[in-house]
Amino acid sequence: MKFERIILENFRQYYVQERLDFAKDNQRRVTVIHGVNGAGKTSLFLAINWCLYGEGVDNVGELISKEAIKQASPGDTVTMSVELSFLHDGERYLAKRTRRGTRMLDGSVQINSSDEFIMMRILWDGQAQSIKNPIGTINAILPSNIRSYYLFDGEKIDDFAKPEAAKEVKEAIYLVFKLETLDRARRHLETAASDYRKELKTSTTGELLNLLDEDEKARGELGKKENRKVEITAEIQAARRKINDIDQRLREIQNAKFLQQQRDRVEQDLKQRRSELEDTQNLIRDISTTSYYTIVQPAIERALSLLEEKRERGEIPSNIRRQFVQDLVAQMQCICGRPFTAGSPEHQRLLRILDNALPGSLEDDVLEITATLRAFNERILRQRSELTILMKRRAELVDLIKDLDAVSDDIGRQLKDSQFEEVSRLELQRENFLTDIDRYNIETGELTRDIEGLKEKIAQLEKRIAQARKNEKREKLLSIKFDLAQKAADAIKDMYQTYADDMRLRIEGKTKEIFKMLIWKDSHFRDVCISRDFELEVIDRYGRPARPELSAGERQVLSLSFITAMSRISEEEAPLVMDTPFGRLSSQPRNNVTRYLPELADQLVLLVTDEELRDQARANLESRIGYEYILEFDPKTSCTTIVEVRR
Amino acid sequence: MLREKLNQLFTLYDPAIQTIIAEVLTLEQAYISMKTPHLKEPIDQIVTRIASKELERMDEHKD
Repeated sequence: MKFERIILENFRQYYVQERLDFAKDNQRRVTVIHGVNGAGKTSLFLAINWCLYGEGVDNVGELISKEAIKQASPGDTVTMSVELSFLHDGERYLAKRTRRGTRMLDGSVQINSSDEFIMMRILWDGQAQSIKNPIGTINAILPSNIRSYYLFDGEKIDDFAKPEAAKEVKEAIYLVFKLETLDRARRHLETAASDYRKELKTSTTGELLNLLDEDEKARGELGKKENRKVEITAEIQAARRKINDIDQRLREIQNAKFLQQQRDRVEQDLKQRRSELEDTQNLIRDISTTSYYTIVQPAIERALSLLEEKRERGEIPSNIRRQFVQDLVAQMQCICGRPFTAGSPEHQRLLRILDNALPGSLEDDVLEITATLRAFNERILRQRSELTILMKRRAELVDLIKDLDAVSDDIGRQLKDSQFEEVSRLELQRENFLTDIDRYNIETGELTRDIEGLKEKIAQLEKRIAQARKNEKREKLLSIKFDLAQKAADAIKDMYQTYADDMRLRIEGKTKEIFKMLIWKDSHFRDVCISRDFELEVIDRYGRPARPELSAGERQVLSLSFITAMSRISEEEAPLVMDTPFGRLSSQPRNNVTRYLPELADQLVLLVTDEELRDQARANLESRIGYEYILEFDPKTSCTTIVEVRR
Repeated sequence: MLREKLNQLFTLYDPAIQTIIAEVLTLEQAYISMKTPHLKEPIDQIVTRIASKELERMDEHKD
């Protein structure tokens, strides 16, 4: 990340709009912003933090410019915003955070809802593309929790070098070197693996195999039964052909001819009667299944009877419409055309009907219901009559078939008892073939039932197999998910300590290198180390820990060395923004720091007082300064203007 | 870059594991400022996607 430009609008003492460009060249990478105490250096520092991260900078008083609030009328909206453009990984970004408030009567400002934060990526053609997850994007570029190692307050810079700072040092290394990220990833992947394991335990392993086995057996059995059915059908046809042959032979034998011909007629008749019986039974079945409403017939008859009784008592109209009766009364004429006089019995009868008449709509309803019930009743009666006829016909056919069977049996018996051996033998054979056909028919029935059952079973199995296949695929996937999540968690666990130790040792080496470069008593300090417990320690020439004895300036240099070492080792391109960094340094360390600091950061933004940067320190930075500004505070308006003094 | 350095740590592992680690690290990094981010679902999505590809690959090899 390299800052390009910042535009402040009504942010603290920056009234209306102020703009500042940052130096970002490789040679001139330093931006110096001068300001006396209270001129607005910390406000500018806050503006960068607030724009990118929002939270955590609110406890520094009102952020909206007091001058902007003062200039607004009650009810007016006051807008404060900070816009920051920066470069990262070869792409250009724009981030803008806006806060709006309403000026109240008492001069205060009521903040409207939450701050608005937008982030855009500027494409190669200059088009701006909105970023859907700006917070996540900022955290991927420069995470909120490590920003304090890049954007830091010079007055707090020695925090890392304090004796009780092991926790801060450890946290800094954890966060900057993504050890926290690794640790979280490992824990979350372990949780995922554990969830997958639990899910796997409840799965139905082996179900598909059992079902496929069952399906194979069912299909094998079905095949056998179908083959047997085909065999039996062939047997039946063969037996029938034999019977036809025997019948033919019997027709040819003089002594059997008559009986055989008689049997042909009987069998023909039997065939017709049986066919008729089947049709009759089908009709009976149809009527029986569709005439379910016959059960309401008693209710219909009772309803019709009640309506009739009421009609006779004159409580409901007859089947004659009210309008028709009114017309008769108006014409004083009977239906047959005979006139009647007022007060005559006919006239009085018609008037009574009219008195008892119901309102038009109700009259219609009564008439319609009566008609519907009658039609229904007639239909039931008609079907009942049809059913009676069919039942009678069935009984007749059953008797007829019995008689014909008896005749056929008698013919068979006569032929079997024939004194002619061939006739008797043929008839016996015929009877055996018929017995075989009966037996085959029974077996066919059983086979048909079994085949239908097996087909049904196979259909069910197919559905269960399809489901089990889905489950098996799911289980396979779950198993792979478990394996991958667990192995990924284990891999992180295995590499974590190696990586953490490697990073710690590399920071240790770099901190030592930078410290030796910046410190002015380099011969006094022999070593800098970071223990496994993340204690940042300085060893003096006597081989003793020297940190407790470090001066404030030396502690500041040690902290600065540690921070810049982290920046160098992490290889993350990030600006170093330092608010009043040299306040505690005397001239020699300040000279050392200003000489080497530009080399230790990709971009350096220094917010300094007029006292902090002068003489040799200023001369050291001279060739590296790209932009230089003065924050001019106007005591009349309490507002600050950013004045560019060098580009 | 630190991200590449982290990914290089896992080069000896199976490519599917490397992909899962790289994607989960990116996800965790995006939510690093939250104390307890709810990442169960997105992590499951990452693992499921990569596991599905593995399953497809295994099926292809079987064919």
